[in-house]
Amino acid sequence: MLFNSYTFIFGFLPVALAGFYALGARRREWALLWLTAVSLVFYAWWRPVNVLLIAPSILVNYGLARALEQTSEARPALARAILVAGIIFNLCFLGYFKYLNFIEGALNDTFGAGFVLTQLILPLGISFITFQKIAFLVDVHGGRVSRFSLADYGLFVLFFPQLIAGPIVHYREMMPQFRAAPGRFDAENVAVGLSLFFFGLAKKLVLADPLGPLVAPLYGQAAAGVPQSMTEAWIAALGFTLQIYFDFSGYSDMALGLGRFFGIKLPVNFNSPLKATSIIDFWLRWHVSLTRFLTAYIYNPLTLNLTRRRMAKGKPIFGGRSPNIGAFVNLLAMPTMLTMLVSGIWHGAGYTYILWGALHGVLLCINHAWRLARPRIWPDTKAYRRKMVPVGFVLTFVSVVAAMVLFRAPSPSAALLLWKGMVGAYGVRLPQAVFSRLGVVAGWLTSIGVQPAWTSGSLLLATTLRIVSLLAIALLLPNTLQMLAAFEPAIGVKPAKTPPRLLHGLTWMPDRVWAVGLACVALAGILSLGELSEFLYWQF
Amino acid sequence: MTEQERLTTLTRILSDLLGDESIELAMDTVREDIPEWDSFNYINFIVAVEAEFGIKFRIVDVESFPNVGAIVKAIGAARGR
Repeated sequence: MLFNSYTFIFGFLPVALAGFYALGARRREWALLWLTAVSLVFYAWWRPVNVLLIAPSILVNYGLARALEQTSEARPALARAILVAGIIFNLCFLGYFKYLNFIEGALNDTFGAGFVLTQLILPLGISFITFQKIAFLVDVHGGRVSRFSLADYGLFVLFFPQLIAGPIVHYREMMPQFRAAPGRFDAENVAVGLSLFFFGLAKKLVLADPLGPLVAPLYGQAAAGVPQSMTEAWIAALGFTLQIYFDFSGYSDMALGLGRFFGIKLPVNFNSPLKATSIIDFWLRWHVSLTRFLTAYIYNPLTLNLTRRRMAKGKPIFGGRSPNIGAFVNLLAMPTMLTMLVSGIWHGAGYTYILWGALHGVLLCINHAWRLARPRIWPDTKAYRRKMVPVGFVLTFVSVVAAMVLFRAPSPSAALLLWKGMVGAYGVRLPQAVFSRLGVVAGWLTSIGVQPAWTSGSLLLATTLRIVSLLAIALLLPNTLQMLAAFEPAIGVKPAKTPPRLLHGLTWMPDRVWAVGLACVALAGILSLGELSEFLYWQF
Repeated sequence: MTEQERLTTLTRILSDLLGDESIELAMDTVREDIPEWDSFNYINFIVAVEAEFGIKFRIVDVESFPNVGAIVKAIGAARGR
């Protein structure tokens, strides 16, 4: 069941909430059990057989977690073995459904291995669910989670607002909230929840979705080997970047809003990533809950161990202003590349995702290298920031947009073709209608390689206007979390000490003006319902 | 060694690491307060602190220190063991 469907908004959600409030008024435990039950229904709606896959996996993980809890103090070696087994179990579960075909296909391509590829049905949200389960086992092993029952664990895994596509949550930040949830109607929670939900719905349906059909033919042509001019290539790159941003951040806003209906706050997932002024900054703003997961469970343990080992051997580590090449490669570049490759592979079984991860890994390494070894020609940090932050913004924006081509393109060669188009390898094309009105300038433009094409000048104009206005929204306006900051829309969000300039008139408050404004946003969203449009991230 | 002395030592380690003399750590300082104190520099900082005090943190603790004060306290606890 999609968040953006009549069934969900007018059927499932009201029933889920009414049951939750009715039971919560009697006993909180019943309300939580109800929440688990409706979450299962939500999951099964798509394909009931999915439940037969997820339920055993929940039981096995629960059993492993119990075993870990009992052995972690008394028999550390055994606990470690159980943890490793648990991680392998979950990775195999994910690997079977998500990667088997890719690996067999790759072996066929390389060695002519002759595997027969079977079409496996990917259980919905399996990548997200798997990561969360692994994190839970690691947390139990590390003693960060204690006191949990099967009901607790089931709710943690299944809680429907974040079940399919995150935000990826930690048990320790969810369970205290479930235990303390009032289970009663609360005006503030519902007002904040509704606002977040409808902001998200409008972002997804009104802003993101119309871009889909606009960019799809361009990627299709690139995949068929048709070169794209600079105009089309940039429309493809910018259009998809904006589509995936408004789609996924819209989904995340909806998830935050849904959680809030039940009195539950979910973690931040997006914080205006396109405003980032460095690649490091970008990853602290884009899909934050994934970055947080990868940092906590892959990057940090790896780097900590590598750094300790290197230190024990007496080799130089980082410190002071004397960056050392060996230390950089071993302690920074290697773990960063590995983490970003995992991120790429996690997104999908395909070469484009792996390359996308690798590309971001390289960009992060360059960013770190610059931080460590940049020339110290600026008198102080303030002067450096004033001069270089705008440069950083442009470099980051262009890199992110270019990398997104890889994320969307059906094959690496299609992405390459589009990149060549973006730098002008196949010229620039403008509509005939524009050309004929330019007079002398047209002749000069032709001489530098601009060709008259695009039968419809109005289509190009409409497309350009759409992209420019969406860019303005993404880059200039405050985001949903900033507008609602006073009401903690996501875990830990507080009003900024120095609020952004445009926020002044856009600070959310429960008054009449906002009621009318939000009603319009909700209406725009609801009127766009109906066409089947999946979230881009539901495929992962 | 008092908590204040440990705090001073942490401040020196971080200043050296980031090459920024203006850093002032307090017990309630969080990572977001210090520009460029990202996850990578954080790990370097932790290992430098471990070497300075001759202790070893648990990875789960490293991950969940809420602020500088928690690190100061963890050093005390580790040395007390």
